[in-house]
Amino acid sequence: MSLQADLSVAAPAIPLARWADRQLRAMHATYGLPRIDGSALMGERGDHGGYVINGTTSAGIGGSRLMRTKDGGWFALTLIREIDRELLPALFGDAAVNCDDWTAIAAAVLQHDCADLVRVGRVLGLPVAGIDEIPASPAIQFMQRGPNRYGPNKDGPIRQKPLVIDLSAIWAGPLAGHLLWQAGMEVIKVESLTRPDLIRRDDPATFERINQGKASVLIDFADEGQKAALVSLIRGADIVIESSRPRALRQLGIDADALVETTPGLVWLSITGHGASGEPANWVGIGNDCGVAAGLTRAMADAGGGIGYVGDAIADPLTGIVAAREGLAAYQRGTAIRIGLSMSGITALALHEEQKHDRAMIDSELRAWGLASGCRFPPVSRREIQGTLQPIGADTERYLGAFERC
Amino acid sequence: MKPGTRLKSAACDTEVMVIRAAEGQIECGGAPMAETKPADPAPLAADFSAGTLMGKRYIDADGKYELLCVKPGKGSLGVDGQALVVKDAKPLPASD
Repeated sequence: MSLQADLSVAAPAIPLARWADRQLRAMHATYGLPRIDGSALMGERGDHGGYVINGTTSAGIGGSRLMRTKDGGWFALTLIREIDRELLPALFGDAAVNCDDWTAIAAAVLQHDCADLVRVGRVLGLPVAGIDEIPASPAIQFMQRGPNRYGPNKDGPIRQKPLVIDLSAIWAGPLAGHLLWQAGMEVIKVESLTRPDLIRRDDPATFERINQGKASVLIDFADEGQKAALVSLIRGADIVIESSRPRALRQLGIDADALVETTPGLVWLSITGHGASGEPANWVGIGNDCGVAAGLTRAMADAGGGIGYVGDAIADPLTGIVAAREGLAAYQRGTAIRIGLSMSGITALALHEEQKHDRAMIDSELRAWGLASGCRFPPVSRREIQGTLQPIGADTERYLGAFERC
Repeated sequence: MKPGTRLKSAACDTEVMVIRAAEGQIECGGAPMAETKPADPAPLAADFSAGTLMGKRYIDADGKYELLCVKPGKGSLGVDGQALVVKDAKPLPASD
């Protein structure tokens, strides 16, 4: 079910790209990050991938759909993990629904009220959203604190090149790590032996752009020695980026709050769909549905652009930029802290700030985006690859070997 | 048992959501589970006291039953006296 693409016509600019660019300009001025174009970060995956704006189906692989509900609402559901489809009978309370057919799924959605589907979907751990939601958590939450790196006598060790451990996967977290690498930090991408970052396989061009220059460590979380070595590596690091749900992290034996509480200066960035504390910490959120949960689809409809997805997994690049900014700011302050970043909260914040900045312009951009269904994504400036892409696990021995032999 | 039904343990804090079920008796801590909690808690059977883990999916050997733990507790899950086991871990949360 795809629209006839008019490939001769490029879509208008991605809404909120100007907001992204303002953040990047400020990061350039404050932290010496090279000047990176906001619309490039927002649109390079869509441009390079030949994405087409597709209304109520997300651009690219089309894993997310907006569907009409019984009460006249719109429900967003992302199905990119096969194992999630098995949960659909429980979502709809119907053992007979054909989980492999979007038409059948849309018919089932139409039998339920939007808020009920969102509530049950979240209990089930499905990435879902409703277009009239208010994000459950603020964009940025300052959580557990710990000692300052510089100590009371300002005599703590200071590294030439701050060390970043990037445990995250897919887009938002790795982009944050990429920006920290661009800012001159040493970044180690850590992947699980059993669950590596699938973007390496599924979208190699995007993977290279946002993971170039990072060292690659592969870890077997079933191996207590390797797990202990990773914790030792984290204790010696300056910034950690992760995008796991809290219980997944705990089940892997990593206690973020305890590490922050005891490691001077450690900045811990927890990237989540809908917040890092309380019940929303258990919810799953993905770039496209988080954009819906942020109110972006509602804003586009109100601006006359109709119902649809805005941008390409728009919450991902926005969150990557904000996470890097907060990481740089916290690193400079020197106090150990865990910072929760909510993808839906950040997207809602960006929309709100953009509306305050220039209401008429964001409304006209949203309208133009909505009316451009069938157009290919706008071309953006191409960023040259500047770093090496390490083969998976190439640096495991270098970083974990010393700890493991202890 | 309809998919999406939420069941509570009579013996501990465990709550599950039914993903898939047949006609057998779903139990936790050795006692039948129901949509409401009984006034008096059931004793926790020693053979079914390994505990449940939040967010884990539990299945039987034949694949007829699948339960999602939505609230953890001290009991463990079974159907007609046969213990359920944890289904393999999901891939990492992805983004598209």
